[in-house]
Amino acid sequence: MTVATRPGLTPILFMPTLTTVRASSVLVHRITSAMSRGMGKSAFLCVAWTTLIFSGCGNDPHVPPFRTTRDNGDPWLTLYRALGDDPRTLDPQVSYDTTSDAIVSQVYETLLQYKLFETDPYQLEPCLAASLPKRTQNPDGTESYLFTLKRGIRFHDDPCFPDGKGREVTSDDLLYSFRRIADPKVECPVFAVFAEFIPGIAEVYDAAKKSGKADYTMPISGLEIVDRYTLRVHIKKPFPQILYWFAMPVTAPVPREAVEYYDGVKREQFRFKPVGTGAFRLAEWRRNKLIRLVRNDHYTATTFPTGGWPAEEAGRLASLAGAKLPQADEVQWVIIREAIPGWIMFRQGYLDRSGVQKDVFTAVLNPAHELSPEYAARGIYLYKDVDVTTFYGVFNMDDPVIGTNKRLRQALYLAYNGDLANEIFRNGIDLPAHHVIPPGVFGHDANYRNPYRGPDLERARKLLAEAGYPGGIDPKSGKPLELSLDLVADDSQARRAAEFDKAQFEQLGIRINIIENTWARLLDKMQRGQFQIYGSSGWHADYPDPENFYSVFYGGNIPPAGSNHGRYKNPEFDRLYEQMRQMDNGAERLAIIHRMRDIMSEDCPIMPLMHPVIYSLAQPWTKRISNNLLARSSLKYVGVDAKLRAQKIAEWNRASPLPVVIGAVCLTAAVVGGIMIGRRRNA
Amino acid sequence: MLNYIVRRALLMIPIVFGVMLITFFLFFVVQSPEQMARRILGPKAPPETIANWLENRGYDKPRFLNLRQGANPFDSLFFNSMKSLLVFDLGKSDITGEPVAEMFRQGAIPSLLLTFPAFIVGLLAAVGLSLFLCYVRDSAIDTWGIVLCVALMSIPIMVYVIFGQWVLANQLKYFPVFGFSMDGFGAVRFLALPVTIMVLAGIGSDVRLFRTIFLEEIRTDYVRTALAKGATNARVLAVHVLKNGMISLITLIVASLPFLIMGSLVIENFFGIPGLGNLAIKAIHTSDFSVVRATVYLGSLLYLGGLLLTDICYAAVDPRIRLG
Repeated sequence: MTVATRPGLTPILFMPTLTTVRASSVLVHRITSAMSRGMGKSAFLCVAWTTLIFSGCGNDPHVPPFRTTRDNGDPWLTLYRALGDDPRTLDPQVSYDTTSDAIVSQVYETLLQYKLFETDPYQLEPCLAASLPKRTQNPDGTESYLFTLKRGIRFHDDPCFPDGKGREVTSDDLLYSFRRIADPKVECPVFAVFAEFIPGIAEVYDAAKKSGKADYTMPISGLEIVDRYTLRVHIKKPFPQILYWFAMPVTAPVPREAVEYYDGVKREQFRFKPVGTGAFRLAEWRRNKLIRLVRNDHYTATTFPTGGWPAEEAGRLASLAGAKLPQADEVQWVIIREAIPGWIMFRQGYLDRSGVQKDVFTAVLNPAHELSPEYAARGIYLYKDVDVTTFYGVFNMDDPVIGTNKRLRQALYLAYNGDLANEIFRNGIDLPAHHVIPPGVFGHDANYRNPYRGPDLERARKLLAEAGYPGGIDPKSGKPLELSLDLVADDSQARRAAEFDKAQFEQLGIRINIIENTWARLLDKMQRGQFQIYGSSGWHADYPDPENFYSVFYGGNIPPAGSNHGRYKNPEFDRLYEQMRQMDNGAERLAIIHRMRDIMSEDCPIMPLMHPVIYSLAQPWTKRISNNLLARSSLKYVGVDAKLRAQKIAEWNRASPLPVVIGAVCLTAAVVGGIMIGRRRNA
Repeated sequence: MLNYIVRRALLMIPIVFGVMLITFFLFFVVQSPEQMARRILGPKAPPETIANWLENRGYDKPRFLNLRQGANPFDSLFFNSMKSLLVFDLGKSDITGEPVAEMFRQGAIPSLLLTFPAFIVGLLAAVGLSLFLCYVRDSAIDTWGIVLCVALMSIPIMVYVIFGQWVLANQLKYFPVFGFSMDGFGAVRFLALPVTIMVLAGIGSDVRLFRTIFLEEIRTDYVRTALAKGATNARVLAVHVLKNGMISLITLIVASLPFLIMGSLVIENFFGIPGLGNLAIKAIHTSDFSVVRATVYLGSLLYLGGLLLTDICYAAVDPRIRLG
């Protein structure tokens, strides 16, 4: 900056300043007159606000629902939920994260779905399909599944259709979704699964890669349209788990019209304009703020289950049997990134559901982990569900020290007090894990005890001596054995957990070096196998089959081929895996699974730590229907007692004018006092 | 003047270029495009999915110079990005595929609705209070006022937010704890608490600064002359000190104007204002490079524009300064 200052006498300095003075006087005058004109409006706003606050509904954070009553005069039911972030996409062939899935699953439905009341083990039932598919084993070792669609299922009404009315779903639409999976430009994250099993998918993908554009007319040999409502899916080798993929949004039928309209004619992008068959359709998505779904009036695919509920719920649920879905008319998903405002909104009754955050854990729950008297008196419901997830620490089996020494790994696992970690970091709510298969998945055995799960320091020390490190000392160097422990240093909790792990292992006399990584760096190291111990690994079920959990330990899935980051490779385990993945559930499969479990426990490539338990709360007016964590499109079953909600919200949100009056009096006194003192001093 | 502005504008080009170069370098030092893709697609994504993702977005190209045989050396990630940024083609988000320009357009108004009123109210309150402290200067009120200001500026904004939300919104229920609306009354209802918090959080340092500026003015000869001629303390402050002190204030004010559009991360996240405050942070957290580079580009332009504007304002209001 070039600044020329002109030194001079004071009067010279002053004169031009006066011009500024005049200019700013005019400005000040304009502002004050504008303010006085606006005064009337501000006064009105103040009065209106005060009235609203003290009438007990001044703090309603929501936008008004679309309607107050249904056509028949019944109250319009709105569900209020919180979402931690905007979904990445609402394209069912692309979405593969829980946030996106929460919305996508309400808008798109699939051929199959999870039975609402079956969670141990989880089971499938038809949704858009008329029945479970017919499975045929062909002489050449391949298999076929015959899917038949229910008749009369229609897509949502949308401007992408010629007359704005959703047309009927046909087998062409099912095929079209697979064509999208095979289109490299769509970027389906699980393309590889379908390419592996369905003949023709990989070929279409490769051809599109070569030509730069996918050919949507090229035949896919593994997908055969039998008639308007029937699709035959051929698979290269037996893989019963493929049925689970037909309960995931990735295979949901998508109308070609919508993709062509939104990605082509309009420039709004199909990924933000979903057109599906679900019980709800997307009405509005205001980025960073709100997603609104509204009922799909011509939804017919499913009705409320007619049985299967737990006996104690029969009184409530039997009356709903066979009821038309969805139960509610509108869903508002408020995007709330921070825990505190979300919790306050739940306390005030403005959200129907909430988790139990760490910050409020002791306020909401008593030491026995039941609701505290305050919340019990509010009539709130508390639910505890074991997630279909296992957390474990993973050893690098390619590492020359830790990978080759089974006794060393066993000793480390024995030294680790997982129950203490649970107490310290998770309020003691999680379920101890003894093996990688979580509850609800075929093959889980609640009575199984891993022979190397700690804490048993005495045995750990013994095994460590057998491993060649008596007292934790490396005989080669005469110094304590040094091992490294990787962590993602994204918050203080991760660091504290790593410090805890370190202290646990160092009880054996060895030394642990903590290595902090960014998430990206850690993923990279896992891909390359450049670590010794990573303490916070885990697997969340893509689908509730043991095959999904064991795939992470299959020798054929060592990176870059798959997610076997610990690089575990045991020929017998691999052989059993290949055998069990093709089998249907039964005694024979169970025996194999138990054999695999024992091999894994003995080899100790991981330290199973816990199955997370999710605590959640529901308001008294919307008791939940089912504890099924995998039934993704379950919002359609949920109703609301609108009268009770209105009554409770009014009761919980009465504002008292007293603090305002006291505050105003104090403030006025302070200002008047200040001015008086100032005057006296100046006089 | 025009000459100066043109010169400064031209000088902005290499600065912005340098800023972008450093951003590129730093972003990809921390993680390679492959790591970025794996992070976005999840640890379960197979290699071919990652390769396809990189190819679709041009991340498979060399980062700075394309030294592959027969290739145009400038067909690289950096130069391709710069080419489109120069014509304000901000591209699409790597994660959602949403046009970045659209993201800015949607977030700018909510952000401004929060920051602009907070800025104006905060400014008026700070000027008023600092004049008041000058009016009672060297008294106990002045001392305690300063103590209060130091206290206000020492408290982290999170404390204000939690106090506001827990006490005013949760316990007393005077305000909605969360939400946003753009229609007149709704906007006031939702913005009252966050604006108040922003004003409170910023006012301490402003009052102290403005008070110092005004006190400096009070100690000048012309003020002494005015007082000697019998002008009242209040009149001297309101007419002379305020107007002359404004010269220093204007530069501060103008420099901060361009940043109002960027919103406020904490306030927006806690109060549910769909603004631009968390755009950059979220993009960095999620490795959304398209958004990071657009934010850095627009941010550096705004910053340089703010500096230029300050200089111009200085010259406009203070005759001792000439741009040339």
